[in-house]
Amino acid sequence: MHVIVATDGSKQSLDAARKLKSFADPAKIDDISVVAVIRPLAAVAFADDLSAGSRKQAVGEAQGFRAAAESAVATVAAEFDGWGPKVHKRVRSGSPANEIIKAATQYEAGLVVVAAGGRGLSDSVLVGSTAQRVQHYAPCPVLVVRPKPRKPRKARA
Amino acid sequence: MADSTTIDADDDQDSGLKRSITGAQLFFYTLGDVLGSGIYVLIGLVAAAVGGAFWIAFAVGVAVAAITGAAYAELVTKYPQAAGSSLYVQKAFNNKALTFLVTVSFLSASFAATGSLATGFASYFAELWAGPPALLVSLVFVAALVLVNYIGITESVVMNMLMTFIELSGLIIVIGIAIYYVAQGDADFGILGDISVSGNPALAVLAGVAFSFFAMTGFENTANVAEETIDPYKSFPRSLVGGMVVAGIVYVLVSMAAALTVPVDTLAESPAALLEVVKQGILPFSTEAMTKIFTIIALVAITNTTLVTLVTQPRILYGMAREDVVPGVFARIHPVRRSPWVGLLFSGLVVGTLLVTGYAVTAAGGGIDLVNRLALVTVVFLLAIYALVIVTCLKLRGQDEDERAFRANTPLLVVGLVGNLAILYYAIYDDPTSLYWCAGLLAVGVVLYVVERLFGSKGTAATAPPLETDREV
Repeated sequence: MHVIVATDGSKQSLDAARKLKSFADPAKIDDISVVAVIRPLAAVAFADDLSAGSRKQAVGEAQGFRAAAESAVATVAAEFDGWGPKVHKRVRSGSPANEIIKAATQYEAGLVVVAAGGRGLSDSVLVGSTAQRVQHYAPCPVLVVRPKPRKPRKARA
Repeated sequence: MADSTTIDADDDQDSGLKRSITGAQLFFYTLGDVLGSGIYVLIGLVAAAVGGAFWIAFAVGVAVAAITGAAYAELVTKYPQAAGSSLYVQKAFNNKALTFLVTVSFLSASFAATGSLATGFASYFAELWAGPPALLVSLVFVAALVLVNYIGITESVVMNMLMTFIELSGLIIVIGIAIYYVAQGDADFGILGDISVSGNPALAVLAGVAFSFFAMTGFENTANVAEETIDPYKSFPRSLVGGMVVAGIVYVLVSMAAALTVPVDTLAESPAALLEVVKQGILPFSTEAMTKIFTIIALVAITNTTLVTLVTQPRILYGMAREDVVPGVFARIHPVRRSPWVGLLFSGLVVGTLLVTGYAVTAAGGGIDLVNRLALVTVVFLLAIYALVIVTCLKLRGQDEDERAFRANTPLLVVGLVGNLAILYYAIYDDPTSLYWCAGLLAVGVVLYVVERLFGSKGTAATAPPLETDREV
């Protein structure tokens, strides 16, 4: 089975990847594709909150959004190191939900893993959530990982 | 399906690197960005400055801008990261202060442009519904666009193309009216050679060029999508310069059309000048309906360009915050929406303040045309940056050369540089008070810089806020 793990560079997407690892049987998974989608027309096309090393740069040495996406993908992919399945790193660009669905079709995925995004007001009032669209239109089952309930500290950093 | 899987299988590291913007999309992005900005808002000012021959001003402005566009195209193909003018200046001069100055100037210009566009929006909006005061309309307009950007629905390429076609249709209506008018034999072509302003005609044209230049701005925003363009070496220069040239031709035709059909005095006095062409009732349709349709088209056009400026500002702030030039909060990304909400909010506030200040000045002192002033402020900054970009382009020759990179014609670049400087000189000479406005806008940047220096030295940008604290609300 080919599993697609989507990341938008957020911590939640890393949590989603960990969730998959926490219960899935690596023997049943042949391939994992970690997919990041760059949004070229967005104000910030891709923001990487995951890889610590990428955050500081000298003035003018601005790395592109593509580099940010690649390092986020690398961080998430590193989660699956030594787990078993072959891990592919993929960066696409366009509308996130569309590209995730396209990737799922293209790689004949058996499962798509996404983070649910928010919880609360912004999620219900402002429609257009990527996870929501992936759930509706993906060609395969979708694992939507909800954020953990609010706690003073995260269980695992 | 199956064959694409085999293509990807070759390499784990870089397989499936997909770029999404095609040359055609980039062309329409440029066209939409450029077309929307000035023509609907500023054509009256250009007409006032020059007289019936104001199409010459557009032709000159467009030519100079297109040459600058060629310099941008060369730099973009050499350094395809999404960063724009400040990156290039840094590469060429390696001077932090200069880079900072360029970035702040560009941001200020962008803020001023947004303010000007918002005022233009209000002028056209008054045609549909004269009820609400203009200031309120422009403020609500900016607030709505900030929200739209936050949600992220502007990111659709299809929507972008659709808006560009709507913009284009409005200008085609204007040209169509003029063709119909000419075909009827009523047109007096003498007006096209008329420079009615007293004094040196060359200076009058230069004044017009300074205004018309505003209409060409916006093309530099396309550098933002360079990184995601398919085959950027080939398609980027073509789409950028091509888009600008097409926009320029449309501008010249539209200004001729306006001059032929409407008395120059009427154009000069109207805040929504292109509407006057439609209001002449030349076409055998209901003038009232045409006016309504055209107003809506103009509103769409202005909205499109304003949206792009509001995408660019937080993006620049984000980049600066990541480089620790401005406070790290500007690098803050909404955990769910993935949009730079602090930067967006800040942009909205600055533009709002600008609008309110301008309104207060008009109300208190009177006599100052806000759009006029804001547009000129924009132009002073941009001309300086454009001149510097051309210098940068020339200075970086021989460095990082790549045979695939686009190379702009050198004598043409020199002409462009002289052109930019001449317009810049005239813009300041004509209206020295615009320097105060420039200083005010720059001050905002300096304050940010000082704040960063005082409080941000520990690299605020480097630590992402923990998710929990970010979701308190």
